Amino acid sequence: MRITMLTLTSLFILACVVMLPSFGQEAQEGSLIGKQVYEESCAHCHGLEGRGDGSGAENLLPRPRDFTRGLYKIRSTESGQLPTDKDLFDIITVGMPGTSMPGWETSLSTNEREEVVKYIKTFFSGFQENEKPPREVRLADKIPYSKESVEIGKGLYVELGCVECHGNLGRGDGTSAPTLVDAWDFKTWPANLTENWNFRGGSDPEDIFKRFIGGIAGSPMPAFQGDTFYHFGLTPEQSEQYAALEKKVEDGEELTTEEEELAAQYFEINDTAATAALDWAEGLEMSPETLKIYNDAMKVVYEKSWHLANYVKSLSPEKRPEFAIGKHVLRSQYIQGELPALADETWNTLEFSYYPLFGQIVVEPRQFNPSIDSVNVKSFYNDTEVVFLFSWDDKTHNTSEEENEETGKTYQDAIAIQFPVRPPKGPTDPKPYFLWGGKKPVYLWQWKASAPDTLTELTAKGIDKAEEQEAQGNFAVESDYTDGKYSLWVKRSLKTDDKKDLQLDVATFVPIAFSVWDGGNGDIDTKRVISSWYSFVLEPLPSTRRFIYPPLVALLSFGLLVGLRRFIQRRNS
Amino acid sequence: MKTKMFLTLTLFLACGLALFVFADNQEEEEEKNLLVFPKAYKTKSVSNGGKINGVVKFDGEAPEMKKLEIVKDKATCGKVDKFDESLVVGEDNAIKNTIVYLMDITEGKDFDAEAKKPEIDQKNCKFTPHVQIVPVKVRLTMLNNDPVTHNVNIADININKQQTRMIKRLRINAMTKPQGPVEVKCDIHGWMRAWVAYVPHPYFAVTNEKGEFSLENVPAGTYKLGYWHETLGNNNKEPVTVEVTAGGEVKQDFTLKMKK
Ligand code: HEC
Ligand code: HEC
Ligand SMILES: [Cu+2]
Repeated sequence: MRITMLTLTSLFILACVVMLPSFGQEAQEGSLIGKQVYEESCAHCHGLEGRGDGSGAENLLPRPRDFTRGLYKIRSTESGQLPTDKDLFDIITVGMPGTSMPGWETSLSTNEREEVVKYIKTFFSGFQENEKPPREVRLADKIPYSKESVEIGKGLYVELGCVECHGNLGRGDGTSAPTLVDAWDFKTWPANLTENWNFRGGSDPEDIFKRFIGGIAGSPMPAFQGDTFYHFGLTPEQSEQYAALEKKVEDGEELTTEEEELAAQYFEINDTAATAALDWAEGLEMSPETLKIYNDAMKVVYEKSWHLANYVKSLSPEKRPEFAIGKHVLRSQYIQGELPALADETWNTLEFSYYPLFGQIVVEPRQFNPSIDSVNVKSFYNDTEVVFLFSWDDKTHNTSEEENEETGKTYQDAIAIQFPVRPPKGPTDPKPYFLWGGKKPVYLWQWKASAPDTLTELTAKGIDKAEEQEAQGNFAVESDYTDGKYSLWVKRSLKTDDKKDLQLDVATFVPIAFSVWDGGNGDIDTKRVISSWYSFVLEPLPSTRRFIYPPLVALLSFGLLVGLRRFIQRRNS
Repeated sequence: MKTKMFLTLTLFLACGLALFVFADNQEEEEEKNLLVFPKAYKTKSVSNGGKINGVVKFDGEAPEMKKLEIVKDKATCGKVDKFDESLVVGEDNAIKNTIVYLMDITEGKDFDAEAKKPEIDQKNCKFTPHVQIVPVKVRLTMLNNDPVTHNVNIADININKQQTRMIKRLRINAMTKPQGPVEVKCDIHGWMRAWVAYVPHPYFAVTNEKGEFSLENVPAGTYKLGYWHETLGNNNKEPVTVEVTAGGEVKQDFTLKMKK
């Protein structure tokens, strides 16, 4: 009897020992669905154990997130807090523009996305340890978008030091940009605030507001919490007075006793408010008085932050420009007499045509992490000449021919503008292969930052089969790099004597395509960003004739190329 | 009878296996820590405690310190030459910025007033000190004595605060859990580096230029003495045992080598 009891007890204990860990695991790892979805759809990037080291991770920048440190960029929560489940669900649903993180709205069901959220949370113990739900950024009292608000925000952009990373005009060309690395020591770049369609977490003022109040965890982008604002806790009037006193002291002037007392008082108010902000951030119990001090102080901060969000919003166009096809095709405008110079105001009368670029991933070496969004083009012509103004954003100005220590290569910024040697005869006449031609050659204008006033003409029969033309045509070239933007001005006669050159006729649609190199992003040779074929036309004057076929053909061939690119991408991934 | 024996045996085996698995996990956990902390620490008044001191030296020829390239705010940051401080070896091969500490002390003195007001200064775009000890539940103060903007990025504890040139004094949230040393960066000036250790008791010292450290008022007893250095690693696996007697003095030097 005793023995049976013993056996039973043993069995019971055994059962417990065996079962307990697995019970624990179930609670921790969520349902099986989450794990299954993760392993099927996410692990090849984020790694089986969530360390961001999946088989496809190596070539990607930003890297797929390592979930084990609990650092999440796109949160609705305050600085230092974990994201809410909804934050995670939303980012998984829509993906992160400008990165390889896809959206899963169509390929995973709502339930699957919810379950995978639970599963990725198991990779970081902080989610379980947190007793309180994460605190969300307060979005009430939003200040609507207005010119005045934008103007105030502009001042804050400089005062708070956004400019150090994001640059004077927000193109991500700040003086700190070249040295930024993320929490995993991978190179990272400040966002180009003039291209908000590439923002990881949305472009509404609310999104922007949340990003800098809460910070972008794991990235160098700081969180702008209460106490990091100048004179936190003081009203704008008090702050102004205090600033004047501080300036006096800085200039070595004596303060009167009264002034000294006032300064001490302001110091105290600021210090108390900052202490309250720390109490808040640490999640401490706060007395009603302290809480009031904190809330009052934050009111001023939130107000400023809405202005700043409105300013950042103002830096981008309302939406991503339409691609240069169909009615947005580039139409060079006729003017009589002298064509405008680079700095001429006449350029402002034209809208630019927008040519999106993508990383070249057909031929080795490839560019999986493109840094340049697009090229913008404007053009005029007169009876004998044509002039183009090409512009594109680049966060770094790399003109040097200096060798890189690690690779022994030289990296510099450059652009090549591609045309067929002869424009197609009609809609059915095929164009050369878009990657610098093949059997059918292409004609190229190549410009490099190291020789900013010259242009080289090339003829190419393939991406690695380009040759400089013997007779270099007569070009006038000017260029400029300011605040993260290149402008390249090129003037040429409509007709030349060289048979290898492109000859331009009014009202003929001419295919055009681009290759751009960003030396600061390691672009070199075939590692670059490119466009597919587009077209442009010298708009006849008076413009009464209607073009139906050429734009239609342009549209069709663009569609074809998009399809081709998709196909190539799919094949490569 | 035989089945019962078999069952009991299985039980033992299962228990053993479970223990093994858990023990293994724990070891892995500990390996991740750069410093070893006691599970709990109680303060008490210590009188007639002992002293542990010594010198930390480098074994071999010290590599030359790399001069940092100042690429930003040159007027302020370029005033004095700056060097990579990940290994500072001075005269007589003395190593600066090594933490020497007691791993397993569970009762002893409280932090003194000064230790409860830790500061890191930012001057000429350099953090001073390079290694700072911060008690848990205490707020670290960052000073900005430069006419430029810095930011304080401590990714390991999810803190990244901008400190513009107007914010002369900025405090960093206290930590409740001992941890670290965690790396402090300024992204505005990518070369700026410091380390902060969040610690539960005051028996932590950082070596000076002469490589010297000193732990004072240690209650009599036997302790494990540990070190940590940013580049040269730690001795978590083989701590030195020291015996402290009331009012006594223990001398314990360390010689550190480049990690392979
Ligand atoms: C093709 C690679 C790839 C795949 C597949 C992928 N991700 Fe990602 N994911 C990324 C990259 C890259 C990032 C980081 C982007 C960044 O940091 O800007 C990321 C980031 C994230 C983030 C962090 C968001 C934040 O706010 O910081 C989450 C959550 C996430 N992924 C979830 C998932 C889930 C769930 C799946 C599977 C359903 C998945 N990912 C599949 C590449 C991928
Ligand atoms: C120390 C450098 C630094 C400073 C200072 C800085 N940023 Fe950023 N910012 C970044 C980096 C890096 C990113 C890219 C983050 C990522 O996606 O990994 C970024 C991204 C952004 C984004 C894009 C968010 C998204 O969804 O992709 C916005 C908006 C932004 N910053 C606004 C600001 C504003 C406003 C300020 C000043 C209050 C500021 N930043 C200050 C480095 C900085
Ligand atoms: Cu700095």
